[in-house]
Amino acid sequence: MADESAAPVVEIPTGLAAQAKQAGWPEDLVRELLQRGAQPADLVRYMRMGVTADQVRQFIAGQAGGEAVGPPAPQLDLSWMKVPTEWGTRARPTKKGLTMDAINIGKYGEVPDTWEYQTEMPRGAVPTLDVEGMSYSVYEKQELWSDNAAALYEEAIQRRWRPATDIPWQAIRPLPDDLERAICQVCTHLSEKAQVEADVLSGWEPELSYGYHEVKLCLASVIFEGARHTEVFRKRALCNGGGLGLQSTGWGFRSVTDARNFTEMVAIQMVLQDSFTLVQHQYGEAFAPSAAEQLIFRLAMQDKARHVAYGIAHLKYVLLHRAERRQEIERYLEKGEALLVADDRDTATREAFAILLGGGKDRIQEGLTKYEEMRRRQVQQYLERLSWATIDRRERLHPALRAYTQAPE
Amino acid sequence: MPTFPSVEWFKVVGELVNKDDAFRRLGTVDARVGVKVGAQLFEVTFEAFECTGAREIGEGDLRDVDFWLEQTPEEWREMIENIREHGSADLHHTLNTIDLSKPEGFARSYDGYRRDTFYRFNQSLQHFFDVSSKIETRFTIGARS
Repeated sequence: MADESAAPVVEIPTGLAAQAKQAGWPEDLVRELLQRGAQPADLVRYMRMGVTADQVRQFIAGQAGGEAVGPPAPQLDLSWMKVPTEWGTRARPTKKGLTMDAINIGKYGEVPDTWEYQTEMPRGAVPTLDVEGMSYSVYEKQELWSDNAAALYEEAIQRRWRPATDIPWQAIRPLPDDLERAICQVCTHLSEKAQVEADVLSGWEPELSYGYHEVKLCLASVIFEGARHTEVFRKRALCNGGGLGLQSTGWGFRSVTDARNFTEMVAIQMVLQDSFTLVQHQYGEAFAPSAAEQLIFRLAMQDKARHVAYGIAHLKYVLLHRAERRQEIERYLEKGEALLVADDRDTATREAFAILLGGGKDRIQEGLTKYEEMRRRQVQQYLERLSWATIDRRERLHPALRAYTQAPE
Repeated sequence: MPTFPSVEWFKVVGELVNKDDAFRRLGTVDARVGVKVGAQLFEVTFEAFECTGAREIGEGDLRDVDFWLEQTPEEWREMIENIREHGSADLHHTLNTIDLSKPEGFARSYDGYRRDTFYRFNQSLQHFFDVSSKIETRFTIGARS
């Protein structure tokens, strides 16, 4: 009785046979491949690529191992090995290692003014047809670019720190109740603010197209640092017999969460708000009750200064390339300043800072004077950074902030 | 015993931080830092994970540094002696604390963006000066006697 399950013998097309002979593929191997459903044209292509008979046998053996449990073995393609990307690239490590800037060479370093693709295709790769779009909304370089983004990302990675183990928590000493309450209120405010920033930036990440991965990476580090600040200030509030304080009024947060445009968000969050927060960290460092709080604020200060560096360099880039956006950016800053001033209704944070800066509740008046000094420095640094980005806001500054540009009486 | 301020003093401290794993663990530093002590001016350069040099400079060179640190010779002496006494700056003598104590700032710059490197690399810069606690310093200016 004939074995009806045996596969029919297939003929090898003449051209394929000649090609196989030239490539050193035995006829029985070619016949087996055809029986398995391989297309002659594909086999010729593999032969021309230099794939050896032994490599094919290994591939078949590997596939056979999976046949018992898996789906039918896929056919070899390997056409991806011939895609016309820029090949032969040899980026070299620098003194700082193999950095993002170091690999931006050849076509891989060409950052287009407009990103044409709606998919997650990496810059420098070859697009695959029919891939579904990702619904990005930011495709123009001027909408998000900052020349320092790659370097800031590397800096953030290199200068990362770990709140759990890098802070000398054991150095924290019991504090009088008023001081403990003050620092816990300040930490509540800073922890909340950091979480908002992380959340807002997380919402923008999927809006930024893939062609500008330097900016996406930089923002990813800012998001992570927002998480770190949320963590470290919460830990400080909960480690010395105190606890969390009162929630912030959140007016300033609203100006950021309501931003409808990426540059608007950057101007308000990473230039205005972060400039003011950076100075809060400076004062926190200077008036810290122990070496632990001092290091917390100093390390947070470093992170925050990087966030500001991205923000202000982005504004400068926008204005350099789209001068007509100047008034638009001024309007964002006006809106942000108004809500930042509204935040002054948050008496809890102001009074807590005053007690911390003054050294106790009984010295709160002295502390309020220092708080005003802090405000003056916040406004001064904000204006200096804007000036670097070619924005002179001294005349258009919100009146409540402009008052701090006058010499103190 | 190196004298403060001098190129030798900054180079000795630079060699110490370059051998210090703790300094490397703080991460990369890219900054050209000016130091102004009375009429004397120096530039200390940091690149990647190390202090790469120190030299004497002129007033015009301040435009090329990221920022410069400026206080009186007596204040410099107080800061360095405080570091020597405590092994690192105490709560009132950190670079940032001194910066806030001066209306015009301790870290100054002609460039609002480059001045921010003082904040971005603050812990490394603090570590640099804190390491000076390991050497004996002779002062030719700001002498108390």
